[in-house]
Amino acid sequence: MDIVVSIKSLVFTYQNAKEPSIRGINGEIGDGEFLMIMGHGGAGKSTLCCAMNGIVPRFYNGEYSGNVFIAGKQTTQYNPSDMAKRVGLVLQDFEAQLFSTNVELEIAFGLENIGLPSVEINRRIDRYLDLIGLNGMRKVDIYTLSGGQKQRLAIGSVIAMEPNVVVMDEPTTDLDPVGRQGVLSLAGLLRDGKRTLVMVDNEPDAAVGADKLWLMKDGEMTAQGVPGDYLKDEKLLVSCGVMPLQTISLFRRMNWQGDPLTVEAALELIQKNNLVQYRDRIIWTDSNVFSGNNFIIEAKDLGYRYPGASQDVLKDINFGIKRGEFVAILGQNGSGKTTLAKHFNRLLKPTSGELLVNGKQTTQYRQNELARLIGYVFQNPDNQIFASTVKEEVGFGLKVLGENAKVIEKNVAEALAVTGLEGYENMSPFVLSKGVRQRVAVASVLSVKPEAIILDEPTTGLDYQHQRGSLDMLKRLNKKGHTVVIITHSMWIAEEYADRCIVMKDGEIISDGKTRAVFADEDRLVRASLVPSPIVRLSNRLGTKAMNVDDMVKELSDESIHLQ
Amino acid sequence: MNLSIYSDDKTWLHSLDPRTKLFGTTIVFIVCLCFNHPLHTGAIALCMFALVLSAGAQKAIWKLRYIILMLFLFSAMLWPFFTSGKTIVWTWKSLKLTRESILYGLAMGFRLSTFVITGLILMATTKNEEITDGLIKMKIPYPLAFAFSTALRLVPTFVKAGATIVQAQVSRGLDLESRNIISRFGKFIPLAVPMFISAIRYTNLLAMALESRGFSPDMQRTFFYEPTMTKRDWIILYFLAALLFISLYMRIILNMGVVMPGRI
Repeated sequence: MDIVVSIKSLVFTYQNAKEPSIRGINGEIGDGEFLMIMGHGGAGKSTLCCAMNGIVPRFYNGEYSGNVFIAGKQTTQYNPSDMAKRVGLVLQDFEAQLFSTNVELEIAFGLENIGLPSVEINRRIDRYLDLIGLNGMRKVDIYTLSGGQKQRLAIGSVIAMEPNVVVMDEPTTDLDPVGRQGVLSLAGLLRDGKRTLVMVDNEPDAAVGADKLWLMKDGEMTAQGVPGDYLKDEKLLVSCGVMPLQTISLFRRMNWQGDPLTVEAALELIQKNNLVQYRDRIIWTDSNVFSGNNFIIEAKDLGYRYPGASQDVLKDINFGIKRGEFVAILGQNGSGKTTLAKHFNRLLKPTSGELLVNGKQTTQYRQNELARLIGYVFQNPDNQIFASTVKEEVGFGLKVLGENAKVIEKNVAEALAVTGLEGYENMSPFVLSKGVRQRVAVASVLSVKPEAIILDEPTTGLDYQHQRGSLDMLKRLNKKGHTVVIITHSMWIAEEYADRCIVMKDGEIISDGKTRAVFADEDRLVRASLVPSPIVRLSNRLGTKAMNVDDMVKELSDESIHLQ
Repeated sequence: MNLSIYSDDKTWLHSLDPRTKLFGTTIVFIVCLCFNHPLHTGAIALCMFALVLSAGAQKAIWKLRYIILMLFLFSAMLWPFFTSGKTIVWTWKSLKLTRESILYGLAMGFRLSTFVITGLILMATTKNEEITDGLIKMKIPYPLAFAFSTALRLVPTFVKAGATIVQAQVSRGLDLESRNIISRFGKFIPLAVPMFISAIRYTNLLAMALESRGFSPDMQRTFFYEPTMTKRDWIILYFLAALLFISLYMRIILNMGVVMPGRI
């Protein structure tokens, strides 16, 4: 096999950074291989990706040593447009990568830059729109595409330049499960087409189909090899900030033989070795356990239409959230989750029906009264961080609400303690990592001590440990009496942490109930572009109640004791 | 909410060469500057309004209706106090209003809204890429042409980011409803810092995305939509040139359409 990418003792230190981001990286990628790179936040994955197409060091200043060869030539010797013909880079943020008026112009942009005649551009637009599944959408305004379509278009606009290597840096992080599936199957198509593919993703199921896996930790390469060898190694994955495969965790904990990487493989092994007593499938009724009137947030026939729009984005929404509940709102990109949540603290006002907080319409509150009742953490912490120290940032809400210095001091200290930010008080929030900034944003909402706290995608861009850390913190708050509502794409988070799930599709609620009941109805979830995590799919097949590995182990062990 | 101005349509204005439209816009701007009588600027505004209907640009105008209305009202109301004429209609202490200054105010109102409307017609009927291509064909250096059209393209993106930031801070109790100017200034920092940071982050990513698609300022590039001047483009350009000539002649030689001589 020809070697397309060859990296030799690569070290890079960003300007003004104390430590190098990557150190001593060596590796080779063969022609037509599919390489998966995984590692914790700050492990140097993005820096490595950028080094492969020369953006490091051309675009970022810093200290660079070692070599990266693409098709035998050093990246530092290519000029940008030659480089683009060799290595295509796709970024996580699809909004920033798309800048054209319509779909065909987006694909054409790179091709114009490398000077192709318009006949050839036309031919390639046809071919690549077909590949990315957007055929017939040439003239469509990019704004109207879904998140998954946007990311596939971003990939298409890069592969249309027919580079030797396609590098994708977390292309699925911002996508719902079905959008993510679309991107992953596109990756599969590229692989079948013998195109060299490098992908960064932190969900282990994406690595199952790869030829090679590189695991990174603290800027160094921890492991390089066949994915199957390392995906079996729970400890190694966790130490690199990657969530272990639930099927593997289950088999290890149960002391079962075999290393199933997928649900199907696990079921096959269970069947073959007769590991579990099959039981009748539990019928989970959608019983309305939420009746009553002690609601903190309640929607009655709520509808919403953006000014000037011709269609409602929310239709006929009815539900009540009780004090002390932990609720997850699920649904695909654009299903209306965020629009709904923004009604809770009157960032939006219903165009029909009503939204009540503590039994009173939001429109009857003053905005600062609502800020004390309902805290809202936006998806991107950088939308709100502005102060020069963490302490000032966290105390901001209290200050504008007119609290005195003593109360501010006390509440800030408490909020910092509960979010694990002691010791950061006098640091600038801007120098902190994404995960810590996210916690600062949560703390700054908590300091006001709202009765309910709403979080929009609290885990995007965080690695496994930080995701767990954030959610454990929310669970603690919930135990202390705060009502918690999260909007999330991450199925295992909803399964493991939420008592109740509200599933939305096209502006309507299509499912609302106890988490276990909602996740038992896989057909209905698929309609909302959602797929339960492997352990729940397994649990649904086996007829168990468990929604996470711990409970599953307990449930099955009890049974085996019982059987003996 | 979709904030982009372009409407995908196939009117005659859409199919014109972008160069024709860029020249046309410039000529309409100059013609507007020729007159300061409300009948004349009003007539121009009316013509542009007819053009809006013919270009199917009503949606774009509707999106910015408040801005257009505000521009008109503010100029019509404020200009009369800052200009002086001969025929006094009303006085109060040191304030006075004259017939000329009122007419001038109206003329300025029409003029400013015509500027905005004309710009919107251009953006509603011309894709960003066509504007870039048109500018390049007019021998504007590529980096400049690209920067110009990208700046236009980024306006809705930044407006959207700004709206999110305002919502995020209001959620934390920032009170933007109070009327006090001094306390308002203090509220500027919590909005400005995140806006600044998000703009830097966004442009950084955009630059990376551009590089990975082979963009470099000094390259030779091809055009997927090759702009071509047709007979119709030339006819329109000749017509506009004649219009420009007549307007300049009316103003400079005949001194028509003027309520305030010596003012633009």
